[in-house]
Amino acid sequence: MIELKGIEKTYLRGSEEVHALKSIDLKVSKGEFISIVGPSGSGKTSLLHVLGCLDRPSKGSLLIDGVAVENMPENKLVQIRRKKIGFVFQQFYLMPGLTVFDNITLPLVFSRQTIDKGKIIRAIELLGLKERIEHYPKQLSGGEMQRVAIARALVNEPEIILADEPTGNLDSENSEKIFELLKSLHKNNLTVVMVTHNNDLASRADRTLLLKDGKFIA
Amino acid sequence: MVFLKLAVANLRRHGTRSLLTALGIATSVAVLFSILSFNKGFSKGLARELQRTGIHFMVVPSGCPHEVASLVLHGSVIPKFLNTSVMENIVAMKDVDFATPILVTQLPNAEKFRVDLVYGMEMSRLAAVKPYWEFDGKIPSTGNELIVGSEIASHNNLKKGDVLTYSGVSFKVSGILKKTGSQDDAFIYMPVETLQTILKKPSGATAIGVKVKTPETLAKTTDELAEIVPGIQVVTMNQVMSSISNLAASGKVLSLSIAIITILVSAVGVMNSMLMAVFERTQEIGMMRAIGASRADIFRIILKEALILTLFGGLSGIVFAVAGSDIIEKFVRRAMPYIPSGSMVDFDPVLAAASLVFVSEVGIVSGLYPSWKAAKISPIEAIKG
Repeated sequence: MIELKGIEKTYLRGSEEVHALKSIDLKVSKGEFISIVGPSGSGKTSLLHVLGCLDRPSKGSLLIDGVAVENMPENKLVQIRRKKIGFVFQQFYLMPGLTVFDNITLPLVFSRQTIDKGKIIRAIELLGLKERIEHYPKQLSGGEMQRVAIARALVNEPEIILADEPTGNLDSENSEKIFELLKSLHKNNLTVVMVTHNNDLASRADRTLLLKDGKFIA
Repeated sequence: MVFLKLAVANLRRHGTRSLLTALGIATSVAVLFSILSFNKGFSKGLARELQRTGIHFMVVPSGCPHEVASLVLHGSVIPKFLNTSVMENIVAMKDVDFATPILVTQLPNAEKFRVDLVYGMEMSRLAAVKPYWEFDGKIPSTGNELIVGSEIASHNNLKKGDVLTYSGVSFKVSGILKKTGSQDDAFIYMPVETLQTILKKPSGATAIGVKVKTPETLAKTTDELAEIVPGIQVVTMNQVMSSISNLAASGKVLSLSIAIITILVSAVGVMNSMLMAVFERTQEIGMMRAIGASRADIFRIILKEALILTLFGGLSGIVFAVAGSDIIEKFVRRAMPYIPSGSMVDFDPVLAAASLVFVSEVGIVSGLYPSWKAAKISPIEAIKG
């Protein structure tokens, strides 16, 4: 489904050149649950951004469904993000002025899709947010906010969920709930790539990759 | 709809800042709308006043004729008199319908401890000179009767039959002028002969009002008159009004320039406010890019915010202008005493729409740079913070 071949990512931090990713090769198959662990600064988030077509590799090739996308124009990459990828962030990034319902509909609005209210409400109910549908982010707990963020990531029916430390801002109980949610989505044939610092959760994925200094070491 | 909700929600997040920015726009739009409304009301007022005047031109002492004529119209006292003997020459002209002396002065009202503006007129010509007037009572038939303007009557609780004393002469109020909405409401009208006696100017007049038989002969008559009677100047009512317009024109240009400069300054305020919002919301913008927003979507969202902000400010400005029109009018009348009577600041939906369209354009222009800046934000840098 997604294949990375010899991916390198370098960027400038002031005058210093930083090699965030070094010769990364990775194949993510459909329906896989992969966790990526590693110390801070090891390149986990950079890798996730390249996987999600948010960032372009400095070198190497990124294939999505067999098509090389690393040199695609920005508008094509936007289309890929809209159709194939769902993002979940550690800081949730919900829009404070919008209700749970409106936050979840945002990706549909951006991809110019008709908003099927019933479908969104069913998704909200599935994630246990029925009572919160008209609430604003500030009225939600951390766990609820992350569930809203997951619902938002799912609303476009993507092929893959890229979760960047989705439990990083949650207590252990809520972390467990969110992880179980991702697991249940994966059971429904959704591909999940999760970056985490939590070794316990990481070990429960189908595959765990250890990244250090921009390279996979396990 | 979600974009609109998002834009409104974002503006509400920084309520005070948005409100202050909108207030800047509101103030400048209020100024612009008031000036435009005033200009329109001014032109309408001039036309109305011309229509209401039963005379075609005035003969005034030589000097600054247009000013004298406008002062006479508005009740100011001129320390220069014409001799009414010039009327003989005027009425002798074949195209002249009638000529009537007008004497304007201020007389102390000893009982009320104030000074009244008194207009001396030939009462027999009143219906011709002021054709639109209506009275409660009758036109004075003797030298010791007078008419009181509606404003003076209501302020001093005067009614028909009351007695007023000026310079030791008692006058009976024979009629109260019904409200005209013009400055006529603020005068006392007495027979010109009586006023001449009081002022000890038996042949004195501030101006001579003249009506021609057919308006087409106006130019010819005024030209001839200026030639045959020395020491006078002739001013047509159109010239008076155009003179008043010219007096006001430079003020209009200046005030309009100030309004436009104010709007430009407010536009910089909108740009600044939107730029701050963009910098503060960098991470959110990054998130939106990640979940499918294109650069154009981000551009549109920020531009919409700028537009909503300016439109809100513009609408509030128009509401302020309409609500404060009385105050504006009083202020302008104090600064410009020669302006026509009647309401000067009228609500005109076309002007309101034009002001809103203008301010929307300003909003769009001031939102362009922040929108472009937001659209350029790299999602990676944004998400990293």
